[in-house]
Amino acid sequence: MPHPQNADYSQRTYAAIEREGEVLIPTHCCFCGMQCGMNIRVDKDSNQVLGVEPRYDFPMNGGRLCPKGVAAYRQAIHPERLLRPLIRKNGQLVESAWDEAMDLIVSKIRDIQGKYGKDAFGIYSGSSMTNEKCYLVGKFARIGLGTKHIDYNGRYCMSSAAAGFNQTLGIDRGGTNPWSDIKFADVLLIAGSNTAECHPLSMPYVWGARDNGAKLIVVDPRQTKTALVADIHLNLKPGTDLALVNGLIHVLIKEDMINHEFVKNHTSGFEDLKAMAEKYPPEVAARITGLPKERIVEAARIFGQAKNGMVLFARGVEQHAKGSDSVSNYTNLCLITGKIGRKGSGVATFTGQGNGQGGREHGQKADQLPGYRKITDPEARKYIAGVWGVDESEIPGPGISAFELLKALGKEVKGLLLICSNPMVSAPSLGDVKQYLTSLEFFVCMDFFLSESAELADVVLPSTVWIEDNGTTTNVEGRVIRINGIDKTPGEARRDWEVLCELADRLGRGQFFRYNSPQEIFDELRVASRGGIADYFGITYEKIEKMDGVFWPCPSVEHEGTPRLFEDRKFNFPDGKARLLAFEHKGPNEDVDQEYPLLLTTGRVVYHYLSGNQTRRIDSLRDKCPDPYVEIHPETAKRYGIENGHYVKISSRRGYIVVPAKITKITRPDMVFVPYHWGKTLAINNLTNPALDPKSKIPEFKVCAVKIEPTKQQEVRHG
Amino acid sequence: MAKVLYIDFERCIGCRACMLGCEECSGHDHLSRMFVDELNPGETVATSPTPCMHCVQPACAESCPVQAIQVTEDGAVLSASHEKCIACKNCTYACPFGIPRVDEQRKIMYKCDLCYDRTSKGRPPMCVSVCPTDTIQFLDEAEAKAKLDKQVQFKWDFGGTVIETRTVIGIPDLQTHRYGYNEVTEDVL
Repeated sequence: MPHPQNADYSQRTYAAIEREGEVLIPTHCCFCGMQCGMNIRVDKDSNQVLGVEPRYDFPMNGGRLCPKGVAAYRQAIHPERLLRPLIRKNGQLVESAWDEAMDLIVSKIRDIQGKYGKDAFGIYSGSSMTNEKCYLVGKFARIGLGTKHIDYNGRYCMSSAAAGFNQTLGIDRGGTNPWSDIKFADVLLIAGSNTAECHPLSMPYVWGARDNGAKLIVVDPRQTKTALVADIHLNLKPGTDLALVNGLIHVLIKEDMINHEFVKNHTSGFEDLKAMAEKYPPEVAARITGLPKERIVEAARIFGQAKNGMVLFARGVEQHAKGSDSVSNYTNLCLITGKIGRKGSGVATFTGQGNGQGGREHGQKADQLPGYRKITDPEARKYIAGVWGVDESEIPGPGISAFELLKALGKEVKGLLLICSNPMVSAPSLGDVKQYLTSLEFFVCMDFFLSESAELADVVLPSTVWIEDNGTTTNVEGRVIRINGIDKTPGEARRDWEVLCELADRLGRGQFFRYNSPQEIFDELRVASRGGIADYFGITYEKIEKMDGVFWPCPSVEHEGTPRLFEDRKFNFPDGKARLLAFEHKGPNEDVDQEYPLLLTTGRVVYHYLSGNQTRRIDSLRDKCPDPYVEIHPETAKRYGIENGHYVKISSRRGYIVVPAKITKITRPDMVFVPYHWGKTLAINNLTNPALDPKSKIPEFKVCAVKIEPTKQQEVRHG
Repeated sequence: MAKVLYIDFERCIGCRACMLGCEECSGHDHLSRMFVDELNPGETVATSPTPCMHCVQPACAESCPVQAIQVTEDGAVLSASHEKCIACKNCTYACPFGIPRVDEQRKIMYKCDLCYDRTSKGRPPMCVSVCPTDTIQFLDEAEAKAKLDKQVQFKWDFGGTVIETRTVIGIPDLQTHRYGYNEVTEDVL
């Protein structure tokens, strides 16, 4: 019997097929934030990974998997896995012994910190790791290395969602509802998310709502596979979300589709929001967004008249210099219509990275300590110092955000440990990033494939894929789940947490890093998060198994977790009221001009994950989409004399790439689209704008000015 | 009651998980028996999976000179028997849906066998198991043919020859354009 919290999910009741000589390891996909359940088939005798078998009984996905999920196991047995440490000798990375690599790393850390101070050695981390590793990396930075310089690639992913939710709701759990609630919405407003390709396993929930008669409004400049099935597609000009939402709010207020009781009792700031929305009648919003005003009015009416509704968004809203405010403004739609805190009503962001949620809760952000505590809060510092057994003064102050950290390389930061991230594909303005990384005195990287970033390192340590370790992650819903692994690593590869503990030991800080298993790290994390916003104290490995995941906050061992937030209509501010914040549309950081007349936006394809370091190596995924391309509207292509399949040079103020044209009506005539999963000369982030949102420090990946021209030049494939 | 494939191609997101899943089924030798087509490239991103249609009177089996293609009692048209198949390609020419393929290296035909190793044990085929959007479903035949919310098709007219299939297709709602599928009026780019 499933736990009652899972009753409304898309579960299926079949048992997995078991074959002789094999064991099935029930675990979860290593890719996006859906964290779908799956079984890994493992040979009983050799412990070798053999394949995948659907795990029908996991509530979130009921055995369903996207192509990345089906193929994920293949990286465990991939011939390009790093098997031994690599050390740069005479300019080349050559295989070396662990002792030599660890000695070198420790001596370089000591040398750099001795010469320039503790903060001169930084950590740039990732969010595709377990909660245990994320927690450990934060602790290792603060009391292993004693550096304030730690941040992570979640800055490029969900930091605007976090900042937006925090300023509006006072808490950031990504989603306020369990995913099964989507099926009970009467209207779904999906903005800046190609859900079908980026989070395919959300689609059964969208279809569930549609089967019940729900209307679907999709806000996206492109007619993606998600927009294709919408009742209303608002294909706005990139970077105009604030104006669109102000326009929607204008109509909601003018036609009195406001939940006055909710606004009065549970929110503050409505008058300011009303005054702002007053300036955005549909014709003004239409002029800014490039949409017909009737469509804006119709969308507002559909949303406003529905009893229950959810607003869901992703990087298309967040990766802007005004991303945090756009998140808050979309959340305003739920608040002013009272659509929050019950089944079928709420707001959520689609988590991009596997553990994008948990990864930002337990202290690897520059300004945070475990449990979502502020590193500047004296009480928080005191509590965590107590958990770690150190003096409060030993915990450094706040550091700087990911892209600021990259810019500080070679200057304030002379040495860097890079874990589970590939900024040479994922950061904006890559030409600069390469300069930053190569200006380091010492650069060490932990990865299981030689990524574009690892290629630049002085030392590369071979780590493990997800199926070779144990731990927990926190999915898109805020559900903490168990990652189970095999007791085997290839070659001399070692688990990241074991390597960090040994480094701490060699640095003379081993007494703070005595763990025999991920579970011991998790038990410390539970205590460290206790009483914080992201309270995991009541979550145990056993309870996760029993309940198929536990939603945080879960403040005591008796507590069964909190699938749905705000059922009591109490928001996480002292007055218990959500804040309706008003925002003026100011447009993107960089606009078009005569020289760069088109807008560029970027995104994912279903076959690849983040920087492509993993998925580009898996044949069955790479074959489906081997190279990037540029989507151009037929009118635009005609204007520039570009034909389907011909090579196009796309340039911005920061760089250029050459890719083949895909001429399609799904995009707008004033923009082009390029997927971002490739590196080197095929990396679209050579062009993107590093302008940061002042609140979340997320770069403005989703819009910059470019020019296009046909070219005979062809770049090397598979960059 | 036999179970059949039901394809609701409005729900297809073109992810090809069905193809990758097919490769994972035991006995499929990592060769996919599933196809996914772009319906109108350049105009829209609409796609549709094409599995074996498991015809009531399968032309592939009827055209096979060595009777290598068996039809199970519940109507699944199996892949060619390794022992019998002579790789003559009669089946590939005969099939109006273009399903059977020949592995040129091993000289053997391969096609969707409805994951007989799985379905015979009461589990859905791999394409159905993994399909992230429930585009491909495994339903009782009567249930699939009587879908109330959608017009369905399981009889196909090929120039006067009517072929009935056990695989059932849910037709997109072109009248109300409920799912955004519009009738195409312009030429494909």
